Amino acid sequence: MLKKYISIMRGAALAALLMCGASLPAQTTASGVINGSLNNTSGIAIQFDSDPAGVTLGAAGTNAATANFGTVSAFGPLAAGVTRPSVTATNFTVRTIFDVQVTSGGLTSTSYTLTANLAAATPSGMSYKVDAITLTTALQTIQVNGSYNTDIAHNLDLVILTAAPGAGGPAVNTPITTTINFTATAN
Amino acid sequence: MKKVMLLTIFAALMMISSAAVAQTTASGTLTVTATVTGSINLVFNSDASGLALSSGAGTNAATLAFGNVSAFGAISAGIVRSTTATNFTVSSAVDVLVTKTNSASANYTLKAQLGSADAVNTWTVGGVAVTNAAQSTLTATGTYAANSNFPVAITVPFTTASGTLISNTINYVATAN
Repeated sequence: MLKKYISIMRGAALAALLMCGASLPAQTTASGVINGSLNNTSGIAIQFDSDPAGVTLGAAGTNAATANFGTVSAFGPLAAGVTRPSVTATNFTVRTIFDVQVTSGGLTSTSYTLTANLAAATPSGMSYKVDAITLTTALQTIQVNGSYNTDIAHNLDLVILTAAPGAGGPAVNTPITTTINFTATAN
Repeated sequence: MKKVMLLTIFAALMMISSAAVAQTTASGTLTVTATVTGSINLVFNSDASGLALSSGAGTNAATLAFGNVSAFGAISAGIVRSTTATNFTVSSAVDVLVTKTNSASANYTLKAQLGSADAVNTWTVGGVAVTNAAQSTLTATGTYAANSNFPVAITVPFTTASGTLISNTINYVATAN
């Protein structure tokens, strides 16, 4: 009886092994399910673009661009894209034009407000204007009804005192760098 | 149980609301660089005692027209005339204004040179003979931001035929000291 049982078990084990061998090829295919989820949130983004009438921006198309006026003076030559709208006895202004593009997604807002401020106090003898608004370290409103998804040109003016260095004028023959922070807020 | 549900819904709404507000603002930075250099500028102005500049007063490209001049005939106001045995000289005051910016320079040097040779007439500026051969120094200590009179004079020989047009260009160069 025991021998018969063992024989049956051996047969069953063999059958099981054969079945396993037959099923191995079937396991080269696997399937699964992934549960994906997406939070569709609204938002806006800002980028700076070069304006055809202004200097070519560094890192144009991003939100951290650079504008280099090059060498500027009251009477000397200026770089392409830089103009000199005024020269007075006390100061002169050099100007370039840059574009701001604010894109929106998932918003009902139809326009945005653009504000700007200097990241640090102005260097000696210099002041900065965007669209004739003198910038300080406090936020200044530049535009209240900006349109989305299009380049909007803005004047960037550097007003430079004509006084000599040490007498109220700016340092000369050395690059003067200032960072302007811009913030666009959906209306 | 009902209160718990309401509180849960309220909290969820608050979270959605705050998230929406936060995402309606975008910021960027524009880094601006400029290198300021000193510069000077030269312009011509009419002097009150001389002829009015015909054109270009207040610029660096002016015209001084003496009009008809002669050794003994009538002469326009603003022209000073002197005569010798062989020639006559007409002169007019002309102001030169040099301004400086972003510079510690104390004064400037002013030089002048004729644009083309004149083998017949003699030209002087500020009493200094000027030719086309080389620059002549009119002053080595010019004062900035002040009209300085540098009279332009032409000495014409009596041998010059009546009706002869005398014309030349005087190139001025101011250099910061």
